[in-house]
Amino acid sequence: MARRRRQVEPKGKDEDVRMMAGLITAAVVSIVVGAAVFIAPPVDVGIEEGALAPDFVASAYDGSNWEEVRLSQLYDDRLVLVTFLDTDCPHCWDEAQELSEIYDAVGSDVLFITIAVELSITGHESSRAEVEAFRDKSQFGDNENNGDGCYSGRKNCAERPGAPHSWMYVDDLSNSIANEWKLPGTPFNMVLDSDGTVLWNQQQPENHPPGEDIKNAVLRLLQEGE
Amino acid sequence: MANPLADPVLLIFIAGLFASSYLLADGRKKEGLEGTNRMLDGSLAFAATGLLGSAWTWVIYNDMVKNPLGGEFCATEGIVQCGSVIGDPRYNNLFGLSWGSLGMAAFTVLLFVILCVRMDPLAKWSEQYTNYAWWLGLAGVPFLFILIGIEIFVVKHICPFCTIAHLALIGYLISVWMLRERREISAWY
Repeated sequence: MARRRRQVEPKGKDEDVRMMAGLITAAVVSIVVGAAVFIAPPVDVGIEEGALAPDFVASAYDGSNWEEVRLSQLYDDRLVLVTFLDTDCPHCWDEAQELSEIYDAVGSDVLFITIAVELSITGHESSRAEVEAFRDKSQFGDNENNGDGCYSGRKNCAERPGAPHSWMYVDDLSNSIANEWKLPGTPFNMVLDSDGTVLWNQQQPENHPPGEDIKNAVLRLLQEGE
Repeated sequence: MANPLADPVLLIFIAGLFASSYLLADGRKKEGLEGTNRMLDGSLAFAATGLLGSAWTWVIYNDMVKNPLGGEFCATEGIVQCGSVIGDPRYNNLFGLSWGSLGMAAFTVLLFVILCVRMDPLAKWSEQYTNYAWWLGLAGVPFLFILIGIEIFVVKHICPFCTIAHLALIGYLISVWMLRERREISAWY
């Protein structure tokens, strides 16, 4: 009787190699990450003082047109005052005057950028036309409480305090920049240095001289930069 | 950097893709476990190339965050460049995480899975891990299409190092598909 030879299935290693594979992978990845960090260390991006402000690309209104701008391409040798406001926010109504005063005092030494957001509050529905009217102090809406105009739709934008603003207003009605910058509310001011590093954040008063407001902060930072 | 295609780092990555392809093709010609191991070496090489390519895009990302108008590791002008993709804050991240770091995480997993199989291709779990490699690799394909779509249709520029990572993923998938096929026709060992 012919004996049938049974093929033996090869057997794997006695020990489980998966732990060793995990260690090898971890070692390789650690070397790769370490080398990458050595070549180009990650930059601290955020809104805390000392961090690099998050860059953005958005449409901005300069008084005549809406054009795409990129924050980092606007930097020159000046300080940058970034203000978030909502055209329907009553505090922003007053802040507009404060901004006008700061601009009158230091306008040539500071790059002003206002980012118009739309807070998720009833009556704060906004539009580019409303942003333009707020900036230019032009006729938009009336003084009836009918949702038309600025100041929760209660006032004609032409009546906001302060002078017409001559700097750019960025459209962030979708709140995408606000979300990335973790906007705590409006109005919100930050001062950046000429390469985008946050020098002054309204939310970090513990780092500032007691009671310092945005105007004094800008004046102090300008003086320190001289 | 004038011509990104003359970048020595890019040439090294291209060489990595060719070497991976060679290992895969060479393994296919060989029979038994020797061929399987050679093909697994090809898969490993694709995963390693993808990991390194992703790490390099992370380097470029970190550099361009600091120097948005022109980093030192990749061109920012021309059709083939990094500035419009890795340097653009609209497209260079997913929920705040750079594509390079996400790619590194993905290729780490793919490398681990295929390394397990390579270290013991006859283990009971090796078939299961080969399938994991396939499905995990496939999970990256939608992101690959998103990124290629952004490059071609939105920014209309090609990011060379991103393409290296894309090709490494495609190569990895092809290699794992061939390995699965090899097992199906009982040519694994």
